[in-house]
Amino acid sequence: MSDTPRERVLAGAFECIARAGIAKTTVEDIARASGVSRATVYRLFPRGRDELLRDTVAWEMARFFAELAVAVGSMPDFETFLERALPLAREELLGHAVLQKVLETEPDRLMPLITVEQHHVIEYLAAFFLPLLERDRAAGLVRGTVDLPRAAEYVARMALSLIASPGRHDLGDPDDLRRLVRSELLGGVLA
Amino acid sequence: MTVLDRVETPERSSVEERATDALLTCIARFGLSKTALDDVADVAACSRATLYRYFDTKAELVRRTVDGELDRLTARAVDAARGERTLGDAVVALVTTAARDLVGHRALQFLLAHEPESILGYLAFGAGDRLLVRVGDAFSPALTRWLPADDASRAGDWLSRILRSYVLMPEPSIDLTDTTEARGFLEELVIPGLEHPVSNTQ
Repeated sequence: MSDTPRERVLAGAFECIARAGIAKTTVEDIARASGVSRATVYRLFPRGRDELLRDTVAWEMARFFAELAVAVGSMPDFETFLERALPLAREELLGHAVLQKVLETEPDRLMPLITVEQHHVIEYLAAFFLPLLERDRAAGLVRGTVDLPRAAEYVARMALSLIASPGRHDLGDPDDLRRLVRSELLGGVLA
Repeated sequence: MTVLDRVETPERSSVEERATDALLTCIARFGLSKTALDDVADVAACSRATLYRYFDTKAELVRRTVDGELDRLTARAVDAARGERTLGDAVVALVTTAARDLVGHRALQFLLAHEPESILGYLAFGAGDRLLVRVGDAFSPALTRWLPADDASRAGDWLSRILRSYVLMPEPSIDLTDTTEARGFLEELVIPGLEHPVSNTQ
């Protein structure tokens, strides 16, 4: 494997959580699963288990969205990208076995971790969306006055909201989805 | 006896109200996990026996308090939008009022800061689905002057999502309690899509 030691430890920690849950996962377990010594784990994560668990959640969330971006592929414009990505993200989230299991068995431990780490995901998604918006602006699809970094962050937050809690919306319904993308998400952005 | 019978209802609601107020006071001071029904009885200045007659368990008191606070806060936000003359102004009034109430809510802020696990169960994932539907519907009367009922509920849902993300989650990037900042953000990115939605058949 070409992974860095840090990534190996994060992958090991994820594996431990998948197997035993958050509460039962110790630094020893993680060291064993990732094939490094306890000392190495503490060198990489000096603040110990809590830091390691938080970083593992952030790492898995980033991996989730990176894989999603690959699955969606390149799209002609941001609007089409969102129409393709939102239902797929929802489907992948419901199909994420470890997330669903831990949400079921240890929601009190998982939700604070996800909530605290979600601003990394928002930054990550916003950084991914910004060039797509800039490309749309160059193509004349975006209003000239719109603050694009702020718009990218807005869409990142609200996309995350829809994926985690669709509420009254059905992302699998093309009419609802189209309206969400063109009105609620991009109504102020599209020319 | 008939006179006493008639005061049954107001008395009941006043015990409930005192108990939920007392619970919020206790949470703001000590947090939820360290608050027992006995503490609530002390702060509410009612006997334990009376309190236990209305609330079997702490969980029941918490549930009714959350319910009551949701109704109270959404009603205040809707009220703030009542006198506004445009949809945009109503949205700004509703969002800034709700944002200020949430940021100024001492019990809620204590929980978010010190016992997030106790409150996120009401806000995130599946529980978030129910919350967003409920708050969205509660916000909709503020918007029905400009929007058909379905669109108003949909807009209410969207505004409750904005509040959840920009006010309740860590590291908000925009201060929605600040009217100028909130107005700039809402007028640029949010209100156009609520005002002129693409129709479902387009």
